[in-house]
Amino acid sequence: MTIDAVYLVQLTLNGITLGLIYALIAVGLSLIFGVMEIINFAHGELLMLGAFAMTFALPVVGLLYWPALAAAILATMVIGLVIYELLLVRLKPDEFERSILVTLGLSIILIHVMQYVFTATPRLVDTQYGFEGVEIGSIRITWTRVIGAGAALAAFAGLYTVLRHSQFGRAMRAIAQNREAALMVGIRPLVVARNAVVLAAGLCGLAGAAISPLQLVTPYMGQFLLFKAFALVIIGGLGNIPGAIVAAVALGLVESWIGGFFEIAWQEAAVFVIMIVVLFVRPDGLFKRGGMRVG
Amino acid sequence: MKLAVALIAALALAALPLLTSSNYIIGIGVSALVFTVAAAALNLIYGFTGLLSFAQLGFWGIGGYATALTVVTFGGSFWLGLVWAALLNAVLALVVGFPTLRTNRHAFVIVTLTFALLVTLIARDWVDLTRGPLGIPNLPPPTAWGYEFVTTRQFYWIAWAFAVAMLAFLYALCSSRIGRTLIAIKQNEPLVRAQGIAPMPYKLASFALSAAITGAAGGVYCFYLRIIDPLFLDFYYMQTFLIIVIIGGAGSFWGVVVSGIALSALPEVLRFSADLRMIIYGLILVIAMFVMPSGIAGWLRDRTLVRLREALR
Repeated sequence: MTIDAVYLVQLTLNGITLGLIYALIAVGLSLIFGVMEIINFAHGELLMLGAFAMTFALPVVGLLYWPALAAAILATMVIGLVIYELLLVRLKPDEFERSILVTLGLSIILIHVMQYVFTATPRLVDTQYGFEGVEIGSIRITWTRVIGAGAALAAFAGLYTVLRHSQFGRAMRAIAQNREAALMVGIRPLVVARNAVVLAAGLCGLAGAAISPLQLVTPYMGQFLLFKAFALVIIGGLGNIPGAIVAAVALGLVESWIGGFFEIAWQEAAVFVIMIVVLFVRPDGLFKRGGMRVG
Repeated sequence: MKLAVALIAALALAALPLLTSSNYIIGIGVSALVFTVAAAALNLIYGFTGLLSFAQLGFWGIGGYATALTVVTFGGSFWLGLVWAALLNAVLALVVGFPTLRTNRHAFVIVTLTFALLVTLIARDWVDLTRGPLGIPNLPPPTAWGYEFVTTRQFYWIAWAFAVAMLAFLYALCSSRIGRTLIAIKQNEPLVRAQGIAPMPYKLASFALSAAITGAAGGVYCFYLRIIDPLFLDFYYMQTFLIIVIIGGAGSFWGVVVSGIALSALPEVLRFSADLRMIIYGLILVIAMFVMPSGIAGWLRDRTLVRLREALR
């Protein structure tokens, strides 16, 4: 089989964009797990809400991409705050199963409320860029993909700076590494947990807004993305942020290549096969776990 | 005492087709029996062993497809299909369970969930085997010694016999030394190890058994529906099983059986639109987790304990 070089590059670029968006979701999950030791099943629904916020904000601001993106991120952050204050604040760190069932219930409610109110009809999102793109030789990539990938990279750089160098982020890492010691030096776990949830919700909103011009927006869109993000968090090591990013980009590439050359079913199955193999070889994930790492 | 009540209840349920002529009510009866078995299987792995498994949905679907394909594609009988469904699921549970149970329960939850969603994708995308979204309609009625179970009324006996057999088996298992070991693993695994018991075989066995029983239940249910398609793997089923277990009380055998029968009838009583029903299910789940995390059985147990303590005072 001869492989067309242009096609391969195209697949690779698409794969990187896809992987970066997976990474945004997986990083949020990792962040919440690191700080609160709960798995947020409603995380995919935050992404869905971000995408819906984008569809509503775009017509208001005259299809301008950036203001709508900002509005979507802000909206999901507010929703994240409400979810935290209403539900997550009541969960204790050792109540793992309970946290799953509570957030699962929340996810059911969010999906079906959205479906009840806005129906399940898929929505197309149009931005100021439409389907225009950059062309390098015969390789073509739409602006919405380029910006999505760029925004994700900027978000990771921002997250790294915050976690590494600000008091806000240092407190999060402290809680993740040693809850008791962090308490003793006067860090308040509830405030830090709230910050982590809002931050993760914002990242998820960015992912939702960035993905909305690339695929149809439906109430169910978050579910399958979330299931991949779960697998990525396992592959990268629970609570390990760089691990999740590397695993996410790698998965985006692998999926894109498989999708380009094999049956579509294999593309979806890849993540599960990789996860089972990783669990066999390295039960703690590819990258060793030791508190929440940022670098 | 409990067994006598259960026996009378089972006989009363057996008489349901004699009491009503409504196919609709008998249909609810079939669903209630099958869902109760699936929920009891989830209770074995979650309530007793303490491992929250979302893979039940996948096993339910694989069981349905395995039974349907045995009959339609490979020309076997319905009964053979059920056996295949159970065996296939047990093997799959061992394959998925072995690497996953070596890690922690966090990973177990996520891997089982991913497994369930993967099965959904395969059901939809492996068109050569499963016929994709079109599904396999017109499943033939099961036969035994020349007798055809055609109507819902006749099918009810199959569901009843299946439910009684499976629940009796699960009861015998849960009330035996094995059941007590499983509860011990849930409550304090290091202590179990210290007693010289290896937890891994127990965990794997309970996962495989619960997978096999869920698969057989799926096989029975899809022959009641007479069609199997990817909607058979709708997350709705998983949520129903979970809510039955949680409201009944995880780890309480009879609590789950009673809530299984009661809650299967509830969505039929509340004839809301599907979306509204799911919203209510979600609300029940969230509220139950905060108000009575150990279900009705747990709440009753707590009250008994309080009364006993007061009597001692």
